[in-house]
Amino acid sequence: MHRWLRRAAGLGLSGCALAAVLIPGPAASGLARRVASGGEIVVGAEQEPDCADWIASCAGSSWGVFTMQEQTMPRVFDVVARGRQWVYTPSLLMAGPPVLSTDGGTQVVRYPLNPRAVWSDGAPITSTDFRYTWDQIAHGTDIFDRTGYDRIASVDDSDPHTAVVTFRTSFAGWRQLFGGVYGIYPSHLLQGRDRDNAMKDGYSWSGGPFKVQAWDKGVDVVLVPNPAYWGPKPKASKITFKFLTDTAAEFQAFQGGEINAAYPAPEPDAVRSIKAGLTDASSLVNADTGNIEGLWMNNAVFPLDSVAVRQAIAYSIDRNAIVRLLFGPLGVSGPSNSLNPPILAPYSDQHAFAGYHLDLAKVRQLMTRDGWQRVGGLWQKNGRTAQLTIVSTAADKRRELTEQVLQAQLRRAGFALTVQNRDANTLFGQILPAGSYQLGLYAGVATDLDPGLCTVFCSSNIPTAANGHSGSNYTRTSIPALDPLLQQVDTDNNDATRVQASKAADRILAAQQVALPIDPLPNIAIWSKRVSGVRGDNPVYGMFWNLSQWQLQ
Amino acid sequence: MLNLVGRRALYSVPVILIASFLTFAFVRATFDPTAKLRQSRESASAIRAERVRLGLNKPLVDQYGSWLGRFLRGDWGTSERTHEAVTAQIGRALGNTTQLVVWGVLVAAVIAVGIGVYSALRQYSLLDYTFTGLTFLGLALPPFWFGLIAIEFLAVGPKQWFHLSDPPLFFIGLHSGGGGILDYARHLVLPVMTLTVQIVAGWSRYQRSSMLDVMSSGYIRTARAKGVPRRQVVLRHGLRNALVPLVTVMALDIGALFGGLIITEKIFSVPGMGKLFIDSLLAGDATTLTAWLVVTAAFIVAFNLLADVAYGWLDPRVRVA
Repeated sequence: MHRWLRRAAGLGLSGCALAAVLIPGPAASGLARRVASGGEIVVGAEQEPDCADWIASCAGSSWGVFTMQEQTMPRVFDVVARGRQWVYTPSLLMAGPPVLSTDGGTQVVRYPLNPRAVWSDGAPITSTDFRYTWDQIAHGTDIFDRTGYDRIASVDDSDPHTAVVTFRTSFAGWRQLFGGVYGIYPSHLLQGRDRDNAMKDGYSWSGGPFKVQAWDKGVDVVLVPNPAYWGPKPKASKITFKFLTDTAAEFQAFQGGEINAAYPAPEPDAVRSIKAGLTDASSLVNADTGNIEGLWMNNAVFPLDSVAVRQAIAYSIDRNAIVRLLFGPLGVSGPSNSLNPPILAPYSDQHAFAGYHLDLAKVRQLMTRDGWQRVGGLWQKNGRTAQLTIVSTAADKRRELTEQVLQAQLRRAGFALTVQNRDANTLFGQILPAGSYQLGLYAGVATDLDPGLCTVFCSSNIPTAANGHSGSNYTRTSIPALDPLLQQVDTDNNDATRVQASKAADRILAAQQVALPIDPLPNIAIWSKRVSGVRGDNPVYGMFWNLSQWQLQ
Repeated sequence: MLNLVGRRALYSVPVILIASFLTFAFVRATFDPTAKLRQSRESASAIRAERVRLGLNKPLVDQYGSWLGRFLRGDWGTSERTHEAVTAQIGRALGNTTQLVVWGVLVAAVIAVGIGVYSALRQYSLLDYTFTGLTFLGLALPPFWFGLIAIEFLAVGPKQWFHLSDPPLFFIGLHSGGGGILDYARHLVLPVMTLTVQIVAGWSRYQRSSMLDVMSSGYIRTARAKGVPRRQVVLRHGLRNALVPLVTVMALDIGALFGGLIITEKIFSVPGMGKLFIDSLLAGDATTLTAWLVVTAAFIVAFNLLADVAYGWLDPRVRVA
């Protein structure tokens, strides 16, 4: 499932750390020292979730997942590292692995539930909770994303300990359902009530290791252990996520001991602070994430409706230089070469775009063949100049820096570039769906381990007036050979042929140069040396995937 | 005096109405409240239904009319970003910003008036030159830089240099959970200092200039010649008259502060009006933005009104005019 989250560098770190910085120092953290041993851990959160109703359109913030969702919502699968790869494994909610059957062409999945699994009030987690969750997502209003749930025909809850899910059409990404960034909802508490109203400002129930004790809007979220949790008990007595929206102040808070850990976005301020060194801290930088920052092109507007122009732009850009400038100090130097993020490497050709590198001779060749002439330093064709505009999310220093570099590089190659950044809602809700842009700079974020580029590249998903501009193929990609491959990736339950189709699709996307991947948006984790139990990252749940094992030494 | 207050208050009503209409129209033209539904791939019929529910299919004046009616009844709508009532959001943010503004203005006023009066009475003294230099420095210091430097040298630095368990001054929010008055004060010092540096610099220059004018006027010389004690001349005749122009500047500045502490609130993680504005703007939350802009406009109008009233109180000639 590909989603355009409001915070680009959101979900995910993975086990392949590129660099670890361990710098000893004298001081211990202030708040940490005040609390009793066993203790209270304070984490800096650089974005406050807009709401805590995880399936509503107001959700979709990665910090909502980190601070509350993943600690309180039960899920079918966990995402764990196996070697260098991330895989699904049944969570403690399950009595055994879910069983997939496709007899008679109908896809059915049976979920055997752990009889020990209970909500914080002691009520068992049952198949009725599965049914309620599906019903809310598939049939509710103002839902963040219905992908997958809209393919379910029914959920049989006649046996409370086994949920039987029958699909209307095949859905290869079924493992992402009833988990991920949504979770399972307690029907006995929410049935018949306004779910959004009951959850949006926080909720006291839990089916995970922690409960939300308080959400002081604009200030912090406090988690305490859920005494009814049937798995390993949390070691810390309290976890406080303090909202610190200024990256420089966040690092000062860490140095000043006001927070014990942070998970900053890879902004220039964060990169500088890491480079300068942190006292009494451990840090981890990882480029194998679920994120992909790309230069997305509107394939339906002049001059980007020409494959040659799109390819020329790709050859005009020195992606290595951009990545080195943004993340070089962190040890990340190579660009991404697939529109599938690194955690989907098994399903993608991670070298598909490797052929696109700075080559001004190639630019000249492509543009000239396409009928362009260079006049006054800029390409012209039929009296029209190669004048491009780029849109991105406003007030993002990293993206502004990238745009400045792109302006300089493209100008040298004969393209003029104007920057017109907007707020996220206008960008993703108006400009991109309406197709009123040429180039877009933003991130695609995979929130699970299943490939799914049909949402963003199948011609049936091009936003049109007929579908209320609600499709997500913002690049207006329409390649007849691509559609069946991407549809196969979405529906084929045979992993081998699915991988084959996904890799073939990657190569077509690169050949047609529908968009240009730039970098993987590395994730950064820092934590005080007094905090033990931090075990790297997770592509879906960030550095907080094992929060219950964190404690102060 | 009541007549003056009533007259000025009446003048303010059309100003607020015009400001609210312009605000409403500009926000409507800039942001689409249904954008988020498209972002989450809702169906065309769901988006159409939402447009009808919000009245977006009606003429702008009708939309404004029904919005104004609801606004006056206290129904400011629901935030598209958080699904929370806008009144609750703004109420919470206003409470936090008010704390910063009240303490900041009190501190700034005392220091600025003190510096201004002293500099005027001891014109061209060493201390006057020092204050002048410092005020220019204060005016030149960008708050985002000063705030971070203040955190470094007054909080993080001392903790590390002296191996303290806590920084002497806190810099996240306005309180720690369960903290008392001392905890509150330790949270307030740095943000108040950051927001007052430029204010003190500006206000003290006004006060000095105004005090110099007043102290060289004929009635002051007359009072001195009649043997009125210097302290009485300065405080009763000099300061009171010299405060008149400063009061105008202060009132205008205070009104603007309720929406203008964006940098200070961001650096010190104070969930106030400035932060709410930025969050709403970046999320395209049209409902919150409209209410926010009207509330801050109302504050500016209200403090202008207050300035008029204070003017009349300080200078009886204004009341007559």
